[in-house]
Amino acid sequence: MKLLIVDDSSIIRGRIARILSDPRLPEIRIIGMARNGVEAVGLSQQFKPELVTMDLTMPEMDGVECTEAIATLNPKVNILIISALSDKATAIKALKKGAKGFLYKPFTDEQLIQAFLEMID
Amino acid sequence: MTLNDIDEHEINVFVDAVVQYFLQITGQKAEVRAAYLAAGETLPPTSEFTGVIKISGDYRGCIYFSADRFLLSRLLLAMNETKHTDDQLLDAVGEIANTLAGNARRHFGEKMEVSIPLTMHGTEAKSLQHMVRARPYVIMVRWKQYEASMIVDIRHDKQ
Repeated sequence: MKLLIVDDSSIIRGRIARILSDPRLPEIRIIGMARNGVEAVGLSQQFKPELVTMDLTMPEMDGVECTEAIATLNPKVNILIISALSDKATAIKALKKGAKGFLYKPFTDEQLIQAFLEMID
Repeated sequence: MTLNDIDEHEINVFVDAVVQYFLQITGQKAEVRAAYLAAGETLPPTSEFTGVIKISGDYRGCIYFSADRFLLSRLLLAMNETKHTDDQLLDAVGEIANTLAGNARRHFGEKMEVSIPLTMHGTEAKSLQHMVRARPYVIMVRWKQYEASMIVDIRHDKQ
């Protein structure tokens, strides 16, 4: 399964990448990491990820707009929002734009693993 | 248009956010050592690394999180991150500020708009002025033997 990681924090990008080695997860191959929505849309056009982790608060293009752009390119893509924005309205907006799941920051390794398992079930 | 104060209950939203942040990341809660209203024209003394989130929409002002390299390095270790360069520590302090402000939207709603983080190293944060409150709220926390501060300088912008 091809994964694109989108977050403006290198620490979060690295943390998500490390968790992929958990033996409960199927083989997930990182095809790119993006620091903002513009980079993410470019990488999506180029590599066609099947799974995307998406931050919301980012420079250049925010995560809601980016979710809509990537979901339009590939309606079957599984987009997991990983964001600190904890209000219901934001989650609903992201889901309406094409996200399939939402995980709030701060998250534990276990919560992310479970979120991945639910997304690819 | 007037800027209105936020109440004690709303300040507790930020206290809870910072306590829960440490619990979620490290398994150990941070302890609130002191919470007070700052005096003076500049913000209270901040640590070596500071993350700033600008607030707009129905609220105005800034939220700051500040910590030294030892606390930030320990937090990164808790996330299995072994690189602890200054750039990584700035990234960490910005991400923490962003998370604390974002979590507060559970109470304040989407009309409290949060910026991407600005980060400051060294003495850059020492001369920051109050944004909207004459006396911003200062929340001092201790986690293990390390100390950090969160400063809440926001007001409700009622029409």
